Formats: sequence, C-alpha cells, structure tokens
Amino acid sequence: MSTNITPAERLRDAGLYAPGDAVLSVRDLNVRFNSENGVVHAVRGVDFDLMPGKTLGIVGESGSGKSVTSMAIMGLLPETADISGSVRFKGKELLGLSDKAMCKHRGNDIAMVFQDPLSSLTPVYTVGNQIIEALTVHNPTMSKQAKEARAVELLRMVGIPSPKDRLKAFPHEFSGGMRQRVMIAIAIANDPRILIADEPTTALDVTIQAQVLEVLHTAQEETGAAVVMITHDLGVVAGMADDIMVMYAGKPVETGTVEDIYYNPRMPYTLGLLGAVPRVDTSDKQSLVPIEGTPPNLALPVLGCSFAARCPMVSDACLHGEPELIPVPGVEAQTLGHKAACIKAEELSGNADAHKIFHAPPKPVSKFDGVARVERQKVLELKDVKKHFPLLKGALIKRRIGTVKAVDGLSFDIREGECLSIVGESGCGKTTTLLEIMEFHPDQVGEVVIGGVSNKVATDHKTTMAMRKEMQMVFQDPTGALDPRFTVYEVLAEPLENLGMPKAAIRKRIMELMKLVGLQPDHVNRFPNQFSGGQRQRIGIARALAVNPKLVVLDEPVSALDVSVQAGVINLLDQLRAELGLSYLMVAHDLSVVRHISDRVAVMYLGKIVETGDVDDVFDNPRHPYTRALLSAIPVPDPNLERTRERIILQGDLPSPLDAPKGCNFATRCPVFAALPAAKQEKCLTLEPPLASEGAQDFACFFPDGEIDADMLVVHA
Amino acid sequence: MLKYLMKRSGIYLIMIFLTTSAGYFLAVSSLKPAVLEQEKIPRPTPEQVAASFRGLGLDPDLNPWERYIQWLGGIITRWDWGRSPNGAFVNAEFADRVLVSTRLFIASIILTLIIGVALGVYSAARQYKFQDRVITSYSYLVHILPAPIAYFLVQLGAIGINEAVGERIFFVTGISTPGIDPGWPAFVDMVAHYAVPTFAMTIFGWAGYQIAQRQYLLDNVNADFVRTARAKGLTRNQAIRKHALRVSFIPVAQSIAFTIPAIFTGGFFAEAIFAWPGIGLWSIQAISLQDVNVATATLAYGSVIFAIGAILADFATTLVDPRVRVQ
Repeated sequence: MSTNITPAERLRDAGLYAPGDAVLSVRDLNVRFNSENGVVHAVRGVDFDLMPGKTLGIVGESGSGKSVTSMAIMGLLPETADISGSVRFKGKELLGLSDKAMCKHRGNDIAMVFQDPLSSLTPVYTVGNQIIEALTVHNPTMSKQAKEARAVELLRMVGIPSPKDRLKAFPHEFSGGMRQRVMIAIAIANDPRILIADEPTTALDVTIQAQVLEVLHTAQEETGAAVVMITHDLGVVAGMADDIMVMYAGKPVETGTVEDIYYNPRMPYTLGLLGAVPRVDTSDKQSLVPIEGTPPNLALPVLGCSFAARCPMVSDACLHGEPELIPVPGVEAQTLGHKAACIKAEELSGNADAHKIFHAPPKPVSKFDGVARVERQKVLELKDVKKHFPLLKGALIKRRIGTVKAVDGLSFDIREGECLSIVGESGCGKTTTLLEIMEFHPDQVGEVVIGGVSNKVATDHKTTMAMRKEMQMVFQDPTGALDPRFTVYEVLAEPLENLGMPKAAIRKRIMELMKLVGLQPDHVNRFPNQFSGGQRQRIGIARALAVNPKLVVLDEPVSALDVSVQAGVINLLDQLRAELGLSYLMVAHDLSVVRHISDRVAVMYLGKIVETGDVDDVFDNPRHPYTRALLSAIPVPDPNLERTRERIILQGDLPSPLDAPKGCNFATRCPVFAALPAAKQEKCLTLEPPLASEGAQDFACFFPDGEIDADMLVVHA
Repeated sequence: MLKYLMKRSGIYLIMIFLTTSAGYFLAVSSLKPAVLEQEKIPRPTPEQVAASFRGLGLDPDLNPWERYIQWLGGIITRWDWGRSPNGAFVNAEFADRVLVSTRLFIASIILTLIIGVALGVYSAARQYKFQDRVITSYSYLVHILPAPIAYFLVQLGAIGINEAVGERIFFVTGISTPGIDPGWPAFVDMVAHYAVPTFAMTIFGWAGYQIAQRQYLLDNVNADFVRTARAKGLTRNQAIRKHALRVSFIPVAQSIAFTIPAIFTGGFFAEAIFAWPGIGLWSIQAISLQDVNVATATLAYGSVIFAIGAILADFATTLVDPRVRVQ
C-alpha cells in the first residue's frame, strides 16, 4: 500500500469535495492487485456519497468490483492490494490508516454483513460470545451483565426466538438464515452509522431471504444507519434502495435514484441487465434479453468503453477513450443525480426497448404448442414414489429412532414438449426426487415410467441403458460437472461411444451439437477451463443432448450463472425445447426463472406436492398458503411495485422432517392456520389434506385462499 | 461425557483383545523357541526341551488353539502373562520395562507437542519471512534425517561438551549410575542421564507438529470468520489469535493419537542407542529369541497405548470443538 501519501494529498488528488453531511464519501477509489497475469485493476475510480439513513444499492455481476469496493472501505483487503483515492467517514480520511487505527471504526462506525453465513461465524465459540466480543472491543468498560443484556436485546431485535437460551448455542446449532440474523446482530451491536451488506441473502432460500431482508429493514430503522447493499439481484434492491450504482468492469457505469435506473436506464448495460431478468409477476412469454460475450480482462488496460465488446449499439466513437460518468443530458432538475457513462445516453431516453436493442430472439414455437396436453404422449410418469431414510442411532448396534420422509408419495407426469418445474425450499425433497428418477431400479417404492419403460421391469442392464438414452441430465455447477482433463470433444464423445456409434458419425454429431448450443465448432479441442461459465453450461447441455434424449432433467441449470449469462442459457433451453421437441424436468429455487421457462409447476413441501398445475394458474392464483408465501417472497425488479406490495413473511425455517406434524405438514408455519379459529385448526392438526383438484390446479389444503395472519403480513410504507 | 468415555473405552477394550489374540496366534505359529535350544552346549534332546517347555507352559506339542486357551486362562484367572523360554516371568520384567520406556519418552512427548505447536503458530504468523523459512526448512530437514543418525549426532555433541569442560556433565547412555547416594546426588545423576535422550528426541521430534500446525493455521488465516472478527474491530493479529488458532488446533489434536504409538514403536532406536532397556527393545529381542509370550505382551501394550492415545485425542477434540460434543 502506498502509505506515504497523506490524507491531504489524497483529497487534493481526488479533487472533489463531498457534501458536508455525508456519512461516507468515496472519491476516485482505485484498487490494484498483483497477480500472476500482471496487475489487475479491480476497481477503477468509484465515487459516491452516502447520506445518513439512506440506502445505496451497488449492483453488478461477479468480477465487477463491487465486493472489492466494500472491502477497501472496511480496510479488509490484503496488505498487497494497492489502494488509492479517498474514503472519508464524516469527513475523516480512512484510507492509509493503520490496522490498529482502522479498528476503532470497524464494527463501531462501519459494520459489515457478509455473504456466506455458514462460514462467517467462528465454529468454536458460542453465538453469545461472538456478539459480546463485538461489544467488548469498542466498550471495554461495559459491565458483563450489561453486555449480556444488550446481546439478548440484539438477538430479539433480529428475530431469534428465546434469545436468552440461544446465547449459549454454537453456530452449528443454527440454520443458515438464523446465522445471517446473528451476523446482522453482530453488525448492529454498536449502532454503526454505516452498514455494508455484501450479498447478504444470496446463499439463502427465498423464504429465508425475505425474512433476512425484513430484519435488515428493521435493523436500519432501529439504528438509523446508512446502508450499502451490494447485490447482483436487481429484485432485492428494488424495494430497499434509495439510490443505485451499477458497476461494470470495476467502474460505475450508471448512478441515480432507483426510479432513474429502473424506469429510465441510460446505459445499454443497465438496460440489458433489466431485460435479462425474468419476472415472476407477469406471464409475459417473451424471450429474455441476452448480453453476449464476457466482461473485459482487468489485467489489460481498458482503451475504449469497457462494455463496447458486448454492446449492440457500439460505434467507432465508443472505442476511443473511456466515457466519463456524466449527468444524463436532457433531464429535469429533480433528477440531476442521474449519471451514465455512455456517449449514447441521449439516444436511450424515453422508452428504449431492450429486446429490440439487444436483438432478443423471437419466442420459439414448438410443434407441440398447438396440441392439447391430453393428446401428447407421457415421457415420464411417477406413481406414488416414496423414499424414506431410516434415522439410526448407536455405535455398533444401530437402532432405528425415526424416519426421514424425504419423498413421500409423489405422483406426476410430464408430456411431450412440456417443462415441469419442481420448486420449494432446500430440504423439501426436490433433489431426492431427481435421484429417485435417475436410480431407476425395480426395488424402489413406487413406479417410475420413462418413455413407456417401467422401473419394475428394468431388471437387466439393457433396459436401464435404453432408459438412459431417453433421459439425460444437466447439472447445477457447470465447472464441477465437466472433467477438467477432458477436451470438449472427449466430453461430448463419451456418451456417443457408449452407444457404440462409429468414429466418423461421432465427429459429425459433435459438430452438430456445438452449433446447436451456440458454441464455435472449432473450439472442440479446448479444455473446459478455457470457457466462461455460461459456455461451460452450454457444453453440459450439449453433452445431455448428445444421445438425442426425449427428456432432459435440469438441476438448477442457471443458478451458478450471472444474470446476463443466465438469460442466454435460458433462451437456449427454450429454443432447444421447441426445435427438438424436448421435455424438461427442472428443479430450481428461482421462481422467476421457473415462471419464464415452465409450462407446469409442482410446489413441494417436506416430501409432498402441495400444489401443482399450469404455471400461469398457480402463479397468478396460488391457492395453497405455502405457494402464496413462496411467491410473495420473490422480490420484483420494479421499485414502485416492490415498495407497496404486501409480503407474507413465514416464521422460522423448514422443520426437520423428523418431527413432521401429524396432520398438515405446513401447519407449524402456515399463515392461514395462524389466523384460523381453534375449532378449524383442529382439522389441520389431525387430518392430512389430500392433493385434490379444484379449479385450474391441484392443491392440498383445507382452507385455500384463507385469510392471512396479520403478524405475518408486512407492507413497507 | 463420562458415559461417552466409558463407551469408547469398552470398544477399544474389545479391539485390544482381538489384536492381542490375533498376535498370539501369529506368534505361536511362527516363533519356535525349540530351534534356539538346539544351539546350547551340551545339546539337549528334543524330549528334554519339550519337557522343560512344558514346565514353563510353552508345550510345543499342543496345537495353537490349546496353547491359546492355556495362555488366556492364565491371564484371566491369575493375571499371568506366561514365561519366557529361559524361565523368566513376563509379569516380573514387564513393569520394569514399561517404567523405563515411560520415563524415557514422557518428557519428550510433552515437550515435542508444546514446542512443535508453538513454533507452528509462530512461523505461520510470519509466513515467508526469515524466521518462518528457517524454522520450516529445519523441520523438513529433520523429517528426512533417519533417527539413529540424529541421535548419534546429539551423543557426539554431548561428548564434545563433556570434553570441552573437562568433566562428565552428561551421560550419553544408561539410566543411572549404580550405587549413587539417594537425595540430591541421585537427582543430579538422573538429570544428567535424562538430558541427552530427551533433548535428542525433542529437537528431532517437533518437526511434524510444527509443519502441521503451521499449515492448518495458514488455512484458517483467511477464513471468512476471521474476516468477520476483523470487521467487528479486532486487529488482524487479535483475530488470528482468538479465532483462527483454536479452529486450526482441531486437526492437530486428532493427530496426537497416532503419534503416541508411533513414538512407542520408533522408540526402539532411542532405547538401543541410549541404552535404556525399555519395552521397544524388549519386543525386538523377544522376536529374535523366539519368545511367544513376551512378543504378545509387548503387542498388547502397544494396543493399549494406542487406545489411550485415541481416547486422549477424542477428549482433546471434544474440548476444542463444540461441534462434536456429545449431549
């Protein structure tokens, strides 16, 4: 670090003075790392002012420099990082302070919540110990009782039940959502003026995400802190942020109020990003806006506009000199803060159509679209499939102390050309269902019929092989699913060789496949690590399609990808389904993606389907309280809607399958159940609601569309 | 906790019984003391040998199963681990041998652990700096140096000191000087005998702990929870000391279990070179003397030491890691 520069020099270098009332002013922040490939310029000139009590959302894809910016503000970057510019807290320069001097501010004035709650707490100390530590560091004179009382108060504030007893619990005794609450409790322990939240809900389930965002909201209200919310999810910040900064390639490319950014984007990247996100609240079946290409390598100098290589509006002028972040021309006085780094900002005014600008493909039409569902053939059918795991105890002699009903009586079918998605929180049995289908063994409980072949007759290897040809799988993590020592050619040839295809035919088929998934056929001799994440997922899809299956099982196919890349892969999946007449069985936690891609949806809770039907019926008119809660938990990238809509915040986590209730599984968390009179509650607790058809969809609830308990409803005014 | 330890002990007891029984069968079917008797002068007749062995409970005419029952019966009813072919009682010599070995190793085991872990932490905190490079290079050097050579070098050093001073300060072999006065002189004599082997085994023993502790700590220095601790307002060094250290000690605590029996078996060289006739030396001698009962007894001792080490490791792990604490 260049420590020989004094704060005064920094300010002079940075030039601009900040408004006096800002709690945090960042000027011309630059961060460089030395790497094996040369100096990586990770953050290239970030400026912003954070006003007290306001929320700034920093939005960008992975590698855009948003996390590095936050770590530089906190002074938590490794010593080898070269940081320049100015970061002032209430006018005091923070850059260049020693670790010790910085410690007076960290956790006291500026606090931070990190992304992964599972690894962010020390496993060997109690939660109480870790909260009290944060108090002790900054209040050495505080008495032990006072600290304990404050810790209990903090835990109560973030919504942890029986906080006094939970002080003595260790982090592993908490679920992910609970741990993130503890992280927030630690962060607000000393009433910080600034709270930085770095992707605080990315690792969590949607229902838990809604809870944690609610806690952050409360925390901000209680402490009056200014919040910097870093995220890649445009939905998450839409309802929370006052201002937005969009970052790309280490640089802010557009800043403004939420309304400016969401309703009047002036930089093609922002426009593309907004168009790339599928919406959970509309049945708009347009293709998504794909942003082709990858962000630039920051180890090389950026000459023109950093987005030029991916921009559909690029012209020669864009390649000469990087555009400055300047006020958008031709705006009214009240939106003076709206700035964009694009020479074509003016052209984008008004209602620029992202689909047209980014040449989004038309919605593909499948040959099955006109055929009624009942007339199409079944490609997959499950009849009362069950998977129960015994829970054992004892070292030498095992005793059965219970049963985990991971999948408990599942029946559904998939017809030609359609996509069925299974949704639910982690632990609801989605993955076990996929594994049961892939298992395909006569000893399974229940029947799995794939392409007319039942698992009950799959007694020999030949039948199983025939089934495998009908059904293939695409995995969540494209990097882990490809052997790093195989070239793409070898990856794609393997399934074909298994079928005994001749060499020449394999070569021809591989070239076809590469074109089919939108990769260059002459890249077949490259290794997986030479491709980007989105391209690797395309290779995974090509491998699944190699043997011409009828059904493709997609296990979270886009959750590991960035928003802009995700759109391209989703469009590809849509297009392949129409062109090849494929059927999909998809498991996904992102309900927006599910709504976009699926025809039908099945909502699972604790091993059972609680609601199923056509995706538009279920999403527009959910009947089961769990579906209603799940849908209400999805943030929508529309600030006005997001600020006014009612949300159902479920209490607690998914219960352990061990103590599944006797009647309705969902009764313990059900917002409708909580509002029912005791006489009616009795029915939910003793009888199990059957999955029955009513209206357009099937659902398992005695009191559909019931009134929601007021405690679980939240509206942000 | 107590119940858990009892249960673990019970399981290890069964394991010790099984390994010892298996060891006995192996010994009884491969060791033939009668062969050595043939080298005596005057050469005894096979009948004489068999008769004398029968008197010692080593009847060569019985089949292994019958011998096993006889041997096991002796242990269970009279805690009698049998006799050597020369007539000596295993029980009588065993206690002395164990005492000698324990005295030889106990100090260096403790010192090795403390110094190794401390140096591991010290070098991890100064990664790639001069101190770290010296300490870690030394550890790797010691790792590849065979124990006998290392011990000889220390003996030579001690002799060098003795010669330089012109007086015998250190004894390089033996346990104690016979006929020394009790009290202060006996204590000085003990320290003089103790110093060289303990020093040798310690400075050549801590390398493993140092390397492991350094590695595990470095793995944790950049962990997310250390970052959280720093975000609370702890300095980097405070965060490492309070948060990374204890987590990094968990795998080291587990490895202790497997180091204690390793020292026991590797102790043969130390016992031979420093002339402390302990149990390691005894077990090797037993095999060369075709002594079934002694070989089995030393094997049983090895199993017990291993079990104690494993229980200690369990105990240490539960102490430092709340995740494995039993309710």
